[in-house]
Amino acid sequence: MTSIGTGYDLANSIFSPDGRNFQVEYAVKAVENGGTSIGIRCKDGVVLAVEKLVTSKLLKPHANKRIATVDRHLGVVYSGMIPDGRHFVERARDEARAWRDTFKTPISTADLASRMGGYMQAYTLYQSVRPFGITAIVGGFDSTRELPVDGEVGSGPACGAGGKVPGKSHGGPALYMIEPSGLYWGYYGAATGKGRQAAKAELEKLDLGGPGGPALSLEEAVKEAARIIYVAHDDDKEFELEMTWISDVDGPTKGLHQEVPKALREEAKRLAKKAQEEKMEE
Amino acid sequence: MFRNNYDNDSVTFSPQGRIFQVEYAAEAVKQGSVVVGIASKTHVVLVAIKRNAEELSSYQKKLFPIDEHVGIAIAGLTSDARVLSNFMKQQCLGHRLTYGRNMPVRTLVDMIGSKAQINTQHYGKRPYGVGLLVAGVDSAGPHLFEFQPSGMTEEMIAFAIGARSQMARTYLERNIDKFADCDREGLIRHGLRALKESLVQDRELTVDNTSVGVTGIVKAEDGSFKVEPFQVYDQQDVMAWIESVGDDKEGGAGDAGEGEGEGEGEDMEVDS
Repeated sequence: MTSIGTGYDLANSIFSPDGRNFQVEYAVKAVENGGTSIGIRCKDGVVLAVEKLVTSKLLKPHANKRIATVDRHLGVVYSGMIPDGRHFVERARDEARAWRDTFKTPISTADLASRMGGYMQAYTLYQSVRPFGITAIVGGFDSTRELPVDGEVGSGPACGAGGKVPGKSHGGPALYMIEPSGLYWGYYGAATGKGRQAAKAELEKLDLGGPGGPALSLEEAVKEAARIIYVAHDDDKEFELEMTWISDVDGPTKGLHQEVPKALREEAKRLAKKAQEEKMEE
Repeated sequence: MFRNNYDNDSVTFSPQGRIFQVEYAAEAVKQGSVVVGIASKTHVVLVAIKRNAEELSSYQKKLFPIDEHVGIAIAGLTSDARVLSNFMKQQCLGHRLTYGRNMPVRTLVDMIGSKAQINTQHYGKRPYGVGLLVAGVDSAGPHLFEFQPSGMTEEMIAFAIGARSQMARTYLERNIDKFADCDREGLIRHGLRALKESLVQDRELTVDNTSVGVTGIVKAEDGSFKVEPFQVYDQQDVMAWIESVGDDKEGGAGDAGEGEGEGEGEDMEVDS
């Protein structure tokens, strides 16, 4: 690697002569070693899934959760250095709560992604800190309804700043992925971690970004998510599948970020394994 | 020992995306004497080997009560553990004052996890050089957590950290299916057997070098469930347990063949 031995890679926030920040690139390497995380934005919600590598037989099964709820309607999953991810989640919760305190309304997924993107970016600016060793996937469902504002008096402005434009649709499912550099984009389907290449290839085959919006339903997306995690998984190692989903208020999760029910998860796993076996036979 | 440019502080990633200072801190845990923790459906126990600096000195404590329902076992830098232990005590007390009940164990463990993570991301700080096993009970039952200097915390069924702890972990893995339904005494005996696996040759468990800590939920006479407060047992209080695994009848160890050589079973002697 050209970075080594030049001295430009020994501290954070240092530009090399060709304009790169090597410490951020190395942080990305930490992400690439972590278990695969994916997110799928579909017609009526968002699904998050993660491959939890079982590092020891002594771990308590299903006790160590990797997908966090940041606000009622927001979930975060991450790949890379797990303690960094937990810090990220705590900060995201603080942001969501601060937003509610200030604006008396839940933070939108886009706004949370923006806040957290800014937070991650700040950790690339100074020699006194290091970048986050994670890539985070933020999924949420911004209500399409008129929400009663927290502690409201009246219903807020009907139009103009802070108001809604009549006749326009608002809210819906949203998915963002934030990298160690602070860079973030909105995605139809996002993947990060060790198996991201294989996962991306599978995500691209799904109908997620058509002009009429994604065709995939939430339940289909859960099954696809499970299948993709199985496809992206490196065979010999043991792993646990963890999945969460978010729908609108009239959907299965009633607008909340929740763990996918066990029955559906097991069904999705069964189908994923079946698909794996069929592929093997080919 | 080899040197490299990327291991001087905890804010520098190596080209492979590793942080060496954190990995070195994890090595400090392996310098500490071994501690074992096991959880069942009703109890969670911690057992530890204590070391003395010299013949005439006292033994370094390994188990610390945090609150009525939580205790920890430490491996690594004792002074770092004291900082974490004080912090945990304060948090538990604060929670009790505010909410009038015990702090959930996971909440507590997450707090030290966050605290430790910050030390791995800021220049001028160093990671904690200590690993912990946190045992506690809450409304969901008994729990056992492992804490690492990286800030990683994971809930375990059973675990061992410290010097030569791999041997103890192997014992625990072999017997993992038995723990859930173990009673209090059975759990302690499993802990001591695991501990013995990690002893160096010609060392024995004695009343001086062995500590046992227990907490759990017990059924009261009126049928309600109560917390058995975390208590540390030392000296004469651990004698019977040590004797019960002394002439190892291979009791719960089950796995025959593997067990030979550990049944020395001679008289108790003072640690040398």
